Amino acid sequence: MLELHSNFTAEGSYPASGSRFTAEGLYPTNHAEHETVEITQGVNNYSEVGFYIFTSARSGDGWQWVGDHIRPRVRVPDSWHWPVGVSLSMEFGYQRASFSKDTWTMELRPIIDKLIDRWYFAVNPALERSFHGPSVPQGVGFSPSAKFSYDFNKYISGGLEYYASYGSITGVSSLHNQAQQFFPTIDLNVSSNWEINFGIGIGATANTDHLIVKGILGRRFDWTHHRAGSSKSPQ
Amino acid sequence: MPLDRRGFLIGASFALLGTAAKTKLWAQTPADVQLEIAPFKLEIAPKKIIQTVAYNGRVPGPLIRWPEGKPITIDVVNNSDAPEIVHWHGLWIPSGEDGAMEEGSPMIAAGGQRRYGFTPRPTGFRWYHTHVFAGHDLRRGGYTGQFGCFYIEPKQTPGAHDQEIFLTLHDWNAYMGGGGDASMDAFYDYATINDRMLGYGDPIKVREGQRVLFRVLNASATATHWLALAGHEFAVAAMDGNEVPKKAKVPAVRLAPAERIDLLVEMNRPGVWVLGETREEIRKAGMGIVVEYANLSGEPKWIDPPETLWDYALFANPASVPVEPDQRVPLVFESKFRGHGDFDYWMINGKSYPKTDTIPLQEGKRYRLAMRNKSGDDHPIHLHRHTFEVTCLDGKPLSGLHKDVVVVKANSNAEIDFIAANPGATLFHCHQQSHMDFGFMTLFRYV
Repeated sequence: MLELHSNFTAEGSYPASGSRFTAEGLYPTNHAEHETVEITQGVNNYSEVGFYIFTSARSGDGWQWVGDHIRPRVRVPDSWHWPVGVSLSMEFGYQRASFSKDTWTMELRPIIDKLIDRWYFAVNPALERSFHGPSVPQGVGFSPSAKFSYDFNKYISGGLEYYASYGSITGVSSLHNQAQQFFPTIDLNVSSNWEINFGIGIGATANTDHLIVKGILGRRFDWTHHRAGSSKSPQ
Repeated sequence: MPLDRRGFLIGASFALLGTAAKTKLWAQTPADVQLEIAPFKLEIAPKKIIQTVAYNGRVPGPLIRWPEGKPITIDVVNNSDAPEIVHWHGLWIPSGEDGAMEEGSPMIAAGGQRRYGFTPRPTGFRWYHTHVFAGHDLRRGGYTGQFGCFYIEPKQTPGAHDQEIFLTLHDWNAYMGGGGDASMDAFYDYATINDRMLGYGDPIKVREGQRVLFRVLNASATATHWLALAGHEFAVAAMDGNEVPKKAKVPAVRLAPAERIDLLVEMNRPGVWVLGETREEIRKAGMGIVVEYANLSGEPKWIDPPETLWDYALFANPASVPVEPDQRVPLVFESKFRGHGDFDYWMINGKSYPKTDTIPLQEGKRYRLAMRNKSGDDHPIHLHRHTFEVTCLDGKPLSGLHKDVVVVKANSNAEIDFIAANPGATLFHCHQQSHMDFGFMTLFRYV
């Protein structure tokens, strides 16, 4: 699967006076466009590997490569008949210091989800760890996310996504320093080959970009090309 | 004429006598066939046990082989924990005996029993199976092991084969899956031919030069299957028990739920072969059986057949002189979305059963069902108690192909003709359990 994640920060961090960078020495996020290419290849029917290429563009700073991550993911096979979907991804990668002070990071993301009639629920109690940068002494951080959505019809689902970073699991940061974002979202299910998602994110704390517009455009590819309804097609 | 008290009482006493006599018959006369419905643990491979419900403690149930024109009695005892019913699929029998409660056949209560009695017809490969609602309980109805083959022998058997083998396809341990960008569907852990997964049953033993007749039934609740015999071709002799006009040879065959097919194979390539699903993942799930030539042994081999598209017209005549029906019945099939986390609801002409309109029939008339499938799913359509002729597929006329199940492909049209020659309520439905359970049924009623 090939996905393009597009985020535009309508209201984010600004450069420090007389500098191209913020007070923390990072590229500012205000009016920055982040484009991420995600390539995912299935290994078998319960595992896959994803690869990310992060880029950023901002007036005056040009288009820049930010970093790359790799994300293997395994899920509980359907044959186990668990009442909820459970999978685990491990994301590891590098990002340039001018975009994140923590340059080498790893994230362990359990994903628990469930479809009930028209409702979809998912929680991701993710743990993250920095291996190079100021957050190394913090140890393991807690960055949960969650989503629920409702199918208005076969093609349109509306929902709410939540992303947060609470700081270290041994010492939760003050609310001011936490990241808290809420994204009302729309998913369009127009075809089994396409994934389309739009959302507007509102940052609820001082440490969060205040307004982000995001979109995901994904395309699934089947390399086998068997004719539908044939003795070799998957249906 | 209004009924007076005497008339009423006379009728009532006859009815009582009838019931008493029937009870006495049940007690005194053994039936020709006995079926016991009961929970059963089926070992499809070592340590792979399926907890299911079956007939007479086996899967498939016993083969009922019965001569044409001879009445039969079948006692069914229900030792399961839920009401059951047995449908005699493809037979021209009365509604009360057909085994569909929608037509008026009584359910058999848990712990209860019933005697079915009818004269089996027409000749050919029929079958019997449960006809209860399963809904979201994927351990009931067609998902269980309640099915068996019923062969009605013609008075004169052509006998153009050396060996006859009945094979039943079934999928096991269903669960609701999919969702995401589509609605949910039934998925399965395992699949078998007869009672075993590939590699764990007795092989079919053949000899070089033999003509083997395979009579194959797809008894899956929802899954369509493709079959091939590695290194061999199938000559299609009959579909749904009815001889086809053209016995075309094909490398693989497609069978939707409830479809049967008679396949003649010339055993002309000695070896140890796999007869199985053409799709590897379904063979791995178990759908296959080994075919072993005499005096040969070794690992069974699989050879992928060439990619095959299925076309009923290959086995039919082109329609030469169009036969006009007495009446056309337009039927539009559509789905009703209920969430990516649920099965769809299904509608015929905008209504789901039991709210669908009953369609009147007059005895002796020829009806054409003009079906338009506006959904993205294929539907194996079944008409109870009648045989129909497939007359048109997506605008292409054909004739001579007689069936009781026909697949109306996604977003396509199909037309079938039948003569209203068997009075009584007649059920019409998609044979996918999850479709019929959620509205894809309607009734025809003779007026």
